[in-house]
Amino acid sequence: MTYGLIPEKASQCNSNNVSRFGMVFSLLLLFFAGSAYAQVPNAVAPKGDHDGKHVEQPIEFPHDIHARDNKINCMYCHTYARRGNVAGIPPTSKCMGCHAVIATEKPRIKQLTEYWQKGESPKWKKVHDLPDFVHFNHEKHLNRFIFNNEGMEVERADEVCAFCHGEIKEMTVARKVKPLNMGFCRQCHEDNNGPSDCWKCHK
Amino acid sequence: MSTYKVKRRDFLKITGLSGASAALAACDMPTTITLEEGEEDVVSYLMPEEYVIPGIGVWYASTCRQCDAACGIIGRVREGRVLKLEGNPQSPINQGALCQIGQAALQVHYNPDRLKQPKIRQGGRLIDASWDEAFDVLKSHIGPDSGIDGSRIAWLSGTVSGHQRVLMDAVSEALGGAGHYAHEILNDTVVDKVNAEVYGSTNIQYKIAEAQVVLSIGADFLSTWGSPVHNSVQYGKFRDAPRGVLIQAEPRMTVTGGSADLWLPVRPGAEGALAMTIAAELVASHGADAKTLPQAVADQLGQYDLASAEEQTGVAADLIEKAADFLATRGPSLVIAGGTAAAHEHGYEAVTAAAMLNVLLGNVGKTIIPVADFPYSALAPKKGDTAQLAAFAKKARAGDISVALITGTNPVYTAPEQLDMVGALNAVKVKIAFAEFIDETSAMADVILPLCSDLESWGTHVASYQTTDAIISLQQPLMEPLYAQTRSLGDVLLAIMKLHNAEQYGPFADYYGYLRNVIAAVPAVAKEGLGDEAYWQAGLQKGMLTVAASAIVSAPLVEAADDAAGNEEAKEMVDNVASEDSFTFALPVYEKDKDFPLRLVPSASSRLGDGRFANLPWLQEAPDAITKIVWNSWVEMHPATALHYGIKQGDIVRVSGEDGSVEAQVYLHKGINKDAIAVPMGQGHTEYGRYASGRGVNPLKMVAVETDSHSGEIALCATRVTVENTGRNEELVKMGGSESQVGRKLVGTITADQLRRV
Repeated sequence: MTYGLIPEKASQCNSNNVSRFGMVFSLLLLFFAGSAYAQVPNAVAPKGDHDGKHVEQPIEFPHDIHARDNKINCMYCHTYARRGNVAGIPPTSKCMGCHAVIATEKPRIKQLTEYWQKGESPKWKKVHDLPDFVHFNHEKHLNRFIFNNEGMEVERADEVCAFCHGEIKEMTVARKVKPLNMGFCRQCHEDNNGPSDCWKCHK
Repeated sequence: MSTYKVKRRDFLKITGLSGASAALAACDMPTTITLEEGEEDVVSYLMPEEYVIPGIGVWYASTCRQCDAACGIIGRVREGRVLKLEGNPQSPINQGALCQIGQAALQVHYNPDRLKQPKIRQGGRLIDASWDEAFDVLKSHIGPDSGIDGSRIAWLSGTVSGHQRVLMDAVSEALGGAGHYAHEILNDTVVDKVNAEVYGSTNIQYKIAEAQVVLSIGADFLSTWGSPVHNSVQYGKFRDAPRGVLIQAEPRMTVTGGSADLWLPVRPGAEGALAMTIAAELVASHGADAKTLPQAVADQLGQYDLASAEEQTGVAADLIEKAADFLATRGPSLVIAGGTAAAHEHGYEAVTAAAMLNVLLGNVGKTIIPVADFPYSALAPKKGDTAQLAAFAKKARAGDISVALITGTNPVYTAPEQLDMVGALNAVKVKIAFAEFIDETSAMADVILPLCSDLESWGTHVASYQTTDAIISLQQPLMEPLYAQTRSLGDVLLAIMKLHNAEQYGPFADYYGYLRNVIAAVPAVAKEGLGDEAYWQAGLQKGMLTVAASAIVSAPLVEAADDAAGNEEAKEMVDNVASEDSFTFALPVYEKDKDFPLRLVPSASSRLGDGRFANLPWLQEAPDAITKIVWNSWVEMHPATALHYGIKQGDIVRVSGEDGSVEAQVYLHKGINKDAIAVPMGQGHTEYGRYASGRGVNPLKMVAVETDSHSGEIALCATRVTVENTGRNEELVKMGGSESQVGRKLVGTITADQLRRV
């Protein structure tokens, strides 16, 4: 049993063919399942999958080497995530901060250095996007699930990022693996007591 | 057919499907905006500033360049693009407010019709060229080796101030005395002349907020006259408790007139008579002392009284009586005159008569404060007018101008047909335009050097109306230029100076470098104890540099008037002012012209101004404040006048004078004098981009070149016209619904007589 199935059962409890006992039982189950399996405290991860296509990027950036092997925090590079609406692609100067000395002989770093020397940033392809009528704020979500979340350590930020972006640290370039549609957002807002006013997102 | 039942659910499915297919059809247009992964580019910063956070705007201070009021603005810049302008709360001029024209500066900047490439005329057509090619042509005509006589070169500009003016003057000097003709069709030359003579300075502070009753004669000070945003902020305070009373006298209701408690529909040209009648009434009924007035004026007071007022001014006597009563009993008062009041053959007298009301009411030094001229005269605005344009046209037609350097003005559009600007410019061999757009004037140029937008340029400006202390408004670029082949005006001027004086101007890499250097040279006293860098940084943050506290000057006339009873010396001063030729003070008696019984009022508004904002869709679609009409021209008439001519709402009429005619739709309303007919200026462009050209009519073309007797300014409202119905009628395109309640009694009304009986 994955904990991801529990809320569905919980919602079935609303129909008449499930006894009151069943409902209470399911809620208890949800509580225990939540505390036993959830990685991020005080949070229910959103549900749903998406089979996004592989996107060819100008440089095949290896998220796995950075985030998994070297355990670099997501927010070290995506520094704007905790400060604004968008997480931002890291500035090229940030890459060069390390790669002026690290792994300079690798072909991808040579490619990067070439961009840097020309005074250009690579034209990355956007992978995660929302329509213009949806107002999404990274800062608010990070505050809720990381910074203002009792028992949560900043070092484990990647687990929160994974809610919407999937296990990026197992990928090279990012691939969209979550649907990021309204149902996906709404379900998570319900599970985590997020705001439910229309204008919170559609403003 | 009725047997085939569509279920509600099916119906929704079908409409949903057709909606989707309509959306798909619309997808034919090329777009990169998609939610699909890997379709849209996202480019990171190369090396951002510490404080830059994508998605979060940073506000920078600058100066609005839409008009000469030099309001302070702050612009929100996000990801290197300016997105929104607001008023700068630190600016003493606009105090945080910004008008719709200022807001629309963004649409100048992002306008799709902006010039992106220099153009050179070849074989009669303007052909794209590189900046260097175009500048080489300029160099061949006004470079040091061009061998041209400087007196045959002329600047033709709009109002210009600050270091752009300093550099323009430097170019004129380097060329050996090139002339500089500044043109603005809407100007205050007449008012400045009167102010200088009556108050002793052209630099007048009108303290609207400190008055309890304001009489404005012709000056639409809330939207087009003086420093409108500053005036509006003051007006807000004026209307705070205890609520001040606003009286507006004008032939056609403006925004200020619409806000007034008492609106006097004065006949065009009778503004002076109205002011004199009010003065006579103040003396006759309210004990005002006529001895405070110059003899020439006092002598004429006898010709005016309430009995003949309606015949002379078109305003009912009881309204004039009421206005005088307000002025006499609700001090402190303030009388402002300008705009349409000054736009007549006897505009000077009308504005003087209004100034006399201030003298009579003892307002000078209280609500109307003359201050010293701007301390750095080289930076003070060179104000445009029509007299200079007429002089340019005359010189050009005589073949005495070989090269015209044109920037910031569009006389081919604004000048009356009678001045024949096209002929004048055709007589000029080489016309070099520095412009952001191809308008009617730059379309005639031989070389066009495209300018950066005002939001991409450095500059310093001195407001035409100094509202408080002497300040230099700093214009700071809010973003990088959108187009590589454009330069700021300052940079162009600097480049020209480098040709002539490499030693002095060569060290400055760009106009910013030049400005930074000259600001460093501001005397330490003016820097208020700040070091040079701190002074500059503070200036950038506030969008202005304060250079001096304004010194109040004494008005000779008023000083004299205070002592008029005994002091001989003072009496002499009064007589000096009063006896000079400039003070003949002969107000005409109104005469109706049989062939052309109506007067044309080309009306200005805070939408299209004098036509320079006609290419901004925000302002085109913003309804006119009085008529609510959008995107078009119209003719305003009084219903009684219309009845006389058999004209009804929406009829297309021809308004003709001796110098031309225009055709437009009629808008009937009672906010206009019965002898006036108003056509808004701003439309009727033949060039000037997709939003402006081919829309409406331009009343300025048919203005007769009558001039104010003292200043030589073209009297804009002096044109006599007649009107005839073309027999066509179209619905007016305007916001706002019906003006009738269609008998539904949505708001109950009773007549004044009925009310009295209740």
